[in-house]
Amino acid sequence: MTTTAVHAGLEGAIADLRQSIGSEFVLTEPYHRAIRSSSAAPFGVHLWQDTLPDLVVRPGSTADVIEIVRIANRWKVPIVPRGAGAGLADGAMPLRRGIVVDIKRMHDVLEIDDDNMTVTVQPGINMMELNKILRPLNVWFPDDPASYPVNVLGGRVGTGGWSLVGAGYGHIPNNVVSMEVVTPTGEVIRVGEGGARKIRKASTGYRMKELFIGHQGTLGIVTELTLDLSPRPEVEFPAFFAVRDWRDSWRLTQTLGKSGLKTISGIFQFDERKVDFLRRDDEAWIPLPDWVQGATGVICYGREAEVNAAKPIIFDLAKEAGATYLGQEMSEGDWASRHDRYHLAYHGRSGGKIKLMAWSIDDCAVQWSELPAVKKRWYEIADALVAKHPEHFDVWGMFMYTNNPFRPWGDHLTELDMGINELEMTPEIWADWIEAKTEIARTAVRHGGSVSACHGGTREGEVNVSCYEELAEGQFELMKKLKRLLDPENIMNPGKYNLDEAYEGDAR
Amino acid sequence: MTQQLSSKPFYGQRIEVRSVPDPIVKDCFAVFACRHKFCREVCPVYQDDRDESHTSYGFHSTLLAISQGIGSLEDVRDQVTNCLECGACELRCPNTLFAGDFYGASTTTVDLVRKVRRDLVAADIGFEKYEAIIEVIDKYLSYFTGPEEDLTRWAEGLNLPFTGETILFVDYFNAFETTVVARNAAKILSAAGVSYGILRHPGATLGELLDVDLDAFVEHARYNVNELVTAGAKRVILINPHDYTYFTRDYTAYLGELPFEVVYVTDVIDELITSGAITFEGASPLSGNVSYHDPCTLNKICGITESPRRIIRSLPGLNFVDVSPVAQWSYCCGKGSSSFKVLHPDTSYRIGARRLQAAADVGAERLVLACPHCEDQLTDVRARSGAPVEPIHVLALVAQAMGLE
Repeated sequence: MTTTAVHAGLEGAIADLRQSIGSEFVLTEPYHRAIRSSSAAPFGVHLWQDTLPDLVVRPGSTADVIEIVRIANRWKVPIVPRGAGAGLADGAMPLRRGIVVDIKRMHDVLEIDDDNMTVTVQPGINMMELNKILRPLNVWFPDDPASYPVNVLGGRVGTGGWSLVGAGYGHIPNNVVSMEVVTPTGEVIRVGEGGARKIRKASTGYRMKELFIGHQGTLGIVTELTLDLSPRPEVEFPAFFAVRDWRDSWRLTQTLGKSGLKTISGIFQFDERKVDFLRRDDEAWIPLPDWVQGATGVICYGREAEVNAAKPIIFDLAKEAGATYLGQEMSEGDWASRHDRYHLAYHGRSGGKIKLMAWSIDDCAVQWSELPAVKKRWYEIADALVAKHPEHFDVWGMFMYTNNPFRPWGDHLTELDMGINELEMTPEIWADWIEAKTEIARTAVRHGGSVSACHGGTREGEVNVSCYEELAEGQFELMKKLKRLLDPENIMNPGKYNLDEAYEGDAR
Repeated sequence: MTQQLSSKPFYGQRIEVRSVPDPIVKDCFAVFACRHKFCREVCPVYQDDRDESHTSYGFHSTLLAISQGIGSLEDVRDQVTNCLECGACELRCPNTLFAGDFYGASTTTVDLVRKVRRDLVAADIGFEKYEAIIEVIDKYLSYFTGPEEDLTRWAEGLNLPFTGETILFVDYFNAFETTVVARNAAKILSAAGVSYGILRHPGATLGELLDVDLDAFVEHARYNVNELVTAGAKRVILINPHDYTYFTRDYTAYLGELPFEVVYVTDVIDELITSGAITFEGASPLSGNVSYHDPCTLNKICGITESPRRIIRSLPGLNFVDVSPVAQWSYCCGKGSSSFKVLHPDTSYRIGARRLQAAADVGAERLVLACPHCEDQLTDVRARSGAPVEPIHVLALVAQAMGLE
């Protein structure tokens, strides 16, 4: 939970920051702070005052970041790193006020090495913009989350992001070769596979790179990334298949995943309530007959010859599973709109009428075999919440995406989408929401899954399940020791992942 | 004619210093609730300063925050000026993409920015460099009250009547600053055998006025419509795409359906080429690599993208290297619809320089334009930057290809 922190050193920190970074990049006006007080997760508008940072700083270089961290330590004012603010786990939401360090000014491409297939960038660059630059070289950085048009690479690393085509190309943790990081005490380090900047596999030293991926801004600020490039796929082939029962979609997903087709880069399931939701009011979805109660989509990337060879096998497997091809137009259209398929506030419903609602997702990682049981329990929890607060919540169905890097089988990013009426929220209803979030996360963990496949297990309602249930076998204890070792003043994003516990008993 | 998918009459309700009317709160929440900020990378201002406060998401969130007691209208004095009013964010917003038609709930950032600028003026707060905007307005309104013959001096020697079923409407910017655009338009229409006239005393069509004094803007709008009707207009040809947005969106919003057809000059010339009324036989052929810059107002706000391209393709001797209109959502010349260059000259310059560099990157030697403001801006940027790309108005190329110079 947030607390209203007051930092005695704030005025001194602001003065030093203006001196070091430049006044135009040290922002204290309310609107600059208000805009950077939330990420993309459900946000209690009624709690806005609690998450306002004291100021925003916009560094332009590694040297600026070092200076900011040193000033924050000097005056003991917390830092919250912020990338695109597109994370769904509140990583960039300040819990103890302090300084939001907005990295988006740092957006240069520092080096393209197409001989060795790497690109080195600053953390504020967006993936789509990076790929525009790379296109003439016929290479791309294959990180394709739904937030592809807006997200920046520093934030992707901070949350340990997931990619729609990760089953073919890997996810962010697999595609970062090495990084320069400013630690919580202001030192600059390079972490990678061993110590080399462009080596993908080494056995030298501890595997430190992993520590600085997915830490939600609690262990440092990445200031430079060397990334693994891939050849641009010659063709892409999406195919969507409708089924009469979601379980057929579930089984087809496994069949396709285990087919051995290397061009498959992702497989997605739409359950019956997602189809209903899309049928209800998503204009991108071509109306489907009532018998359609689920769908499976598959995306193949690669050379034309190999994708063409895979097509008849995919169609045969789908036919054997009793699935019906939805046609080229719908398949290509849906894949093309994958980044835009966000659920709009106007899609919220209460009693059949429009009620403006924000989008919430749970992004647990769940093994294939457990999907039916998790799905059943999640809907029980969500439906009970809607029954109790019909004006405040709405169920928007489920997606399930392949989650295993480089392999389209095994675990799935399992997404329960809901609408939440943030504008008319009350503390009591918010408490019920948090309780439901806890139960949803706990269900995944009890079925052998993880609280989060892509955004992080830091949200209110989930964080206790993450720390005390999923990470209970010593991991959370080790996290606290590492946090205290690297960040003795608890400067970096304090409050996240319950890591304040690492400092309990300190005189502060 | 362009249709505005989402007209929001509730923008007429005043935002006070610390309170926001409920319909506007919901309108802003619809953008805030998206939180995916696709409006960001497409914004030419954001591309330059990388400040998310200066995006559609940032602007809507600010107003929502004010409604929740965080900050006040006074805080947005700077923020409200960091908008080119180009419309890219509106097109890229999922609300527009998926809720525009069905719910009538497109995101209308440009209208909202203008509305908030007016509210700031009404609250005696004003905005950064407000006085400079007033100077611009005073300058152009002085043309209205000045000697009548100055308004048509651009047409000297062309012998154009002041009546006709077709009227070529020439705004003050073209009449006083980019007169060659107006003269080329007139020469081309005359050579094609079009029977048309001009207004003896047109009123003002100023984005700046729309931003600070709606009553005065509407007063001039009503005046212009009356003058055009009196002149006998059944068809009005515009040569400034900013005017096209005012006539098709704002005039209709405040005055209702117009009693004449409104067309943009490139659509007219495209028709004349197709019908054979304009030919390029006999004149010296053009040469070189050209690309085309979509003016924001035509591309992002009015959806006119094809006629300029068809004209360029019809011109003999040119190698046309096209960049799609959608790819150009993130482009702008940097001048904006309402004196952005006056408000932020350095940002304006860098945006313009980036546009010329993008043209150079596709191998263009000349960048073809269809807007006098783009021509004015990019000519200035080229002079200052030494960019290897020459901006040129499409009407100049057509006139040259017709041998009219």
